[in-house]
Amino acid sequence: MSVALPIPGFPGRIFAVTLPAGPGGTPVTVGGQNALPLLPEGEHPNAPAVGMEVRTGPLELPPALAGTIGPFAGNPAAMARKCAGDWGARFLFLSLAGCHPDAGGQSVSFGAAVVREVLSATPAPVIVGGCGDEEVDALLFPAVAEAALRPVFLSYAEEKNYRLVAGAALAYGHGVVSWSPIDINMAKQMNLLLADLGFPPDRVLIDPLTGGLGYGMEYTFSIIERIRLAGLSGDAALARPVLCHLGDAWKAREATDASEGTWGDVDARGRRWEETTGLACLAAGADLLVCRHPSNVARLSGAAWR
Amino acid sequence: MADETGSIRFHPDGVDVPGIPGESLLAHALRGGIPLLSPCGGESRCGKCRVLVVGKTQGGEDPGALTRAEIAAGIRLACRCFPSSGDISVTILPGSRPARLTAYLDGKDLAGDEPFLPLSRAALGSVPLGVALDLGTSTLAGTLVDLSDGSVLSRATADNPQMACGEDLISRVVFAEETTGGFELLRGRLLSGVDGLVRRLLEASPVPGEVTDVVAAGNTVISHFLYGISPSPIRRPPYHPVRKEYPAVPGETLGTAPATARAMWRIFPSLGGFVGGDVVAGILASGMHRREEVSLLFDVGTNGEVVLGNRDWRITCSSSAGPAFEGGEVGCGMRAYPGAIESVRIEPETAAAEWTVIGRGRPAGLCGSGILDLCAELFRAGIVDRAGRFTSRGAGRRRSTERGEAFVVVPREKSATGCDVVFCESDLKSVLRTKAALCAAAEALLAAVGLPREAVARVYIAGGFGNFLDLRSALTIGLFPPISLARFAPLGNASLAGALGALRNRRRWKEALSLASGTLYHDLSSDHGFMELYQRGLFLPHTDEESYRSVLAAEIRA
Amino acid sequence: MALTAIDIYKLLPKTNCRECGQSTCLAFAMQIAAGKASIDLCPPASDEAREKLSAAAAPPLPKVTIGTGEREVVLGDETVLFRHEKTFYHPTAIAVSIRDDASDEEFASRLAAIRRLSFERVGQRISVDLVALRCASGNADRYARAAVAALAATGLPLVLLAPAGPLAAAVEAAAPSRPLLAPPPEDLAPAAKLAAERKLPLQVRARGIEGLTVALAAARAAGALSLVADPSPETPREAVSFATNLRRLAILSRNRDLAYPSAFDLGGGFPDPFLAAALLVAKYGSLLVLDSADPADLLPLLTLRQNLFTDPQRPIQVEPGVYPIGAPSESSPVLITTNFSLTYFTVRGDVEAAKVPAHLLIADVDGMSVLTAWAAGKFTGESISKMLAGCGIGEKVTHRTLILPGMVARLSGRIEELSGWRVLVGPQESSALPSYLRRLPPAAFLPVHG
Repeated sequence: MSVALPIPGFPGRIFAVTLPAGPGGTPVTVGGQNALPLLPEGEHPNAPAVGMEVRTGPLELPPALAGTIGPFAGNPAAMARKCAGDWGARFLFLSLAGCHPDAGGQSVSFGAAVVREVLSATPAPVIVGGCGDEEVDALLFPAVAEAALRPVFLSYAEEKNYRLVAGAALAYGHGVVSWSPIDINMAKQMNLLLADLGFPPDRVLIDPLTGGLGYGMEYTFSIIERIRLAGLSGDAALARPVLCHLGDAWKAREATDASEGTWGDVDARGRRWEETTGLACLAAGADLLVCRHPSNVARLSGAAWR
Repeated sequence: MADETGSIRFHPDGVDVPGIPGESLLAHALRGGIPLLSPCGGESRCGKCRVLVVGKTQGGEDPGALTRAEIAAGIRLACRCFPSSGDISVTILPGSRPARLTAYLDGKDLAGDEPFLPLSRAALGSVPLGVALDLGTSTLAGTLVDLSDGSVLSRATADNPQMACGEDLISRVVFAEETTGGFELLRGRLLSGVDGLVRRLLEASPVPGEVTDVVAAGNTVISHFLYGISPSPIRRPPYHPVRKEYPAVPGETLGTAPATARAMWRIFPSLGGFVGGDVVAGILASGMHRREEVSLLFDVGTNGEVVLGNRDWRITCSSSAGPAFEGGEVGCGMRAYPGAIESVRIEPETAAAEWTVIGRGRPAGLCGSGILDLCAELFRAGIVDRAGRFTSRGAGRRRSTERGEAFVVVPREKSATGCDVVFCESDLKSVLRTKAALCAAAEALLAAVGLPREAVARVYIAGGFGNFLDLRSALTIGLFPPISLARFAPLGNASLAGALGALRNRRRWKEALSLASGTLYHDLSSDHGFMELYQRGLFLPHTDEESYRSVLAAEIRA
Repeated sequence: MALTAIDIYKLLPKTNCRECGQSTCLAFAMQIAAGKASIDLCPPASDEAREKLSAAAAPPLPKVTIGTGEREVVLGDETVLFRHEKTFYHPTAIAVSIRDDASDEEFASRLAAIRRLSFERVGQRISVDLVALRCASGNADRYARAAVAALAATGLPLVLLAPAGPLAAAVEAAAPSRPLLAPPPEDLAPAAKLAAERKLPLQVRARGIEGLTVALAAARAAGALSLVADPSPETPREAVSFATNLRRLAILSRNRDLAYPSAFDLGGGFPDPFLAAALLVAKYGSLLVLDSADPADLLPLLTLRQNLFTDPQRPIQVEPGVYPIGAPSESSPVLITTNFSLTYFTVRGDVEAAKVPAHLLIADVDGMSVLTAWAAGKFTGESISKMLAGCGIGEKVTHRTLILPGMVARLSGRIEELSGWRVLVGPQESSALPSYLRRLPPAAFLPVHG
């Protein structure tokens, strides 16, 4: 007996976006699908990709991370090699948090030098994140755009700074991550603004702001689902791959607190906390995940089938 | 020991008011009947009650509203400045004086020709006269009619004297609550404004007679003041008025002047706390309640009200859209008086602005239609982006001001005031908020009943602004939902037109009463989808820019 | 498809008679469309209207209950495919398994471990919902005793994973607790008969959608009505696909033959059960059986469930409290705004842009913006004064000066009167904060004494 399954057909397709690699490296292509995630229907030419964060500046590491990535703190190039080499990260998210005035205030030229160093340490594709300080980033992005000798993605462009970030990216052939605070309409608005600047749609990723598990994950989940449904339904401004940075998972007390006896082992729990955040993002439709725990690269990649 | 507070002389009126310690200069001005703009009702929010003080005072040196140079020169905010001691001289600065009004009276009545069936019985021994009134938040307008044949005898407008106690309605309700005797003061001001208007109508009438009937359309707060009931509950959840219907009473019961004391006063029923009898009158004038096709009606004023429906059903809401198109919340905004720029074109190459001015003099500021045009032109010329931020284009026409970077519409040497007429990013953001709220209100009504916007056959624009706005500019910035311009019909002062219609035909008055019970009030503050619709509107023209593009493209082809 | 308010209105008498309690027929139609009223409230409604509107109101996915009383677990009864379309009503039920062949000591300690899988998060208790009792002994008496013991120790409803014989014995011993009968596929017939006789819920296990079509029909034919469908996937990927298609068949196709809550046994060697469980919580699993009782697994899963099964129409809020921006000191400015997330993000960004370290107070106003909260009476002189006194800001700064959003300048007098703090009226627009903060004289934040 055969049952007719009501499989939705979508008129739209997500733009395929490639994060270029250096010589000898493997570029990452995501997007290109015309169906919802995790289902054996429609076309999914590219599996979601899992990358790792490499960062400058101080970061207090929770127990689950101290033993794994702890030894590489302060050495972005070595960390980048380890992530891309041993831990299987398909791309790197290089956060220049250390340039923030409250995080040590490394100079803009230092930040640009770190970018150069990481790019020469590994051929893996790289997304470069700013420090989050508006005035510093206004100097940092142009410097990074110039310093990066191969194409990277700049993260992120938002309504306040998009002319500057996208302008720097355009001038040197980089891509951008378009950011909005958990709001589908603002996500679309950002992409329309980028399109008005003539920014090519196949060099744009959407960062919908990823809340950590237990702390706003549900809003992110629904916004990703809505962005994806809109993109597949033909709204070209939202037909972009979605990038989720899982860093907020590590802000949860549940991921880091060793003192609660009834919560189980803090290492396993922290790892699970990030993994669960990532799985929810994948179920909603995320195409790129950035994690901190090395073992989650394999865990999440295993889940991220075509 | 401080000296006793002396007398306060207000210039340019030259009126002395005895000083009372602890009372602000604004309160003194109010007491003395001196016109002084205080749109926020003395809440120190608007920074518009600027006065030049000579003498000893305290306070009013708000660094947010005044520059250091202004403070040093003795300029103060009257609402926060208090007399200390001795005689004080207070000059009300030009920008802080209410302008004289020559606003619009014209309203269309699209409900169709009808027999003349006046409300009234005959007057005793003289010609029976009827007065139709539109009691607006800022303007009172009236028409005098000969009830023996329906002919119009005279028309007049006046400022609503309540303006001195707050430009927006909420500020007035707060004033009534928190000022001793505030309610009586506001009610007295309204009655004196109405009496003065009727007096001028009668003076201008070629036919003497006796006023037998008055029909008044006003928003719910004004209707409450007129009827002598407290509007306080309207500003608090669930925002219900004390009453929605106002049984007809003779003028003496309301306390009007002898000219209308024996006339029967009929006040249009309200639909909700923020949708009043003026909107009911507007529905009457549009005739939407008699047709099978679905219409939308916008009343663009200090707030924006929207009605959706047809002869069987209607649903309405108030959008809490700001007064940007009445000139409020915009730095160089002003009402549509002589001296206001009413239309603007920008040359895309040079970014130079051309304009037309009401009364043909030098421009002093921008009225609603000018503001609308300016925003549309700035966007079309690429000087602002879709988010309402300045781009690199037209940088030569901009200068930095205390309120941020500003586009110079009129350079000072060409303006009436000797100051540049400028438009800042924050002005544009106010316009964005206003238009987003208005458009989202209409979309929320469509969503509430589950109709697509293609189902809307007619769009009526009520309010003086509606007569003068450029519909293409409106579509360019997304003031209304993307609907073909051929479906739009401006109504002008529909509230007055509706009141006049009811005065001339008693069936219309019955319709008005039945509209009140057959029109659903939709509370946007409890509509979960509204915030999202609003966010979608905070963009030029709209986040759904595809729909606007296709409607605009069709207009250009047409 | 769901009827719109106008569709419904057209079926109503259009008399605005108010007998339903609504002010107009349109208002009543909107209530029906929102699922908040039934056509039964309209006495003058025509028979045609009644018929059409009752059919539209029936839930596409039936409700199945397991257990009784406070611990009752409800499966199904969902109406949408995506939570943003309305909401998901009944959270994925999570059962942790226990084997009946464990020693008494092991059995007791495992039950104790299951009982501890209950956590307090943001004011809610999130817990494992059921105990799944696996029959490994093959012994009916032992299984029945284990069922009674599990019930007594945990109070949680049971999933009885057992062949026909032990199943019947356990039902005999524990039927009033309304367990879910979960026989292996080969024992479906006797178990369905048992479920029908005892009016108990039955988990129908068969391979895939096609297998379920046959097995569910057989269960119905045996008289079992309260059914849960287990498509028996072999991989997490297959599990998500089956769960999605079952839910789509119910909601999109209104296929009554397959419209049942879904259940998945992720124990006994199922590959990567944690991964499958997390994805099934997100994607349409109604009941999951897990072998892990590790709180490091269950706390994240239960938290994910807590997140996804909240009502998405609640506005996005941030946690109220005192937020340091930069590295504020005891003489840094104190600002206040509301906990609507967009408001918070905007104000926070603008204060950061000012480069003036500050304390930002986030008031709890149920996620409204400043003006909305003021208008709704949630952001008032009283509530702000209460926050100033109770949030601990008094210990963080030595001054007593608060910067109030310009939009609510009118509250300043009341705050000063109630709290003793001095109020500075900030700008109306958050975007003006950087210049405002930079212009503030330091003297505004001198310590107060006494």
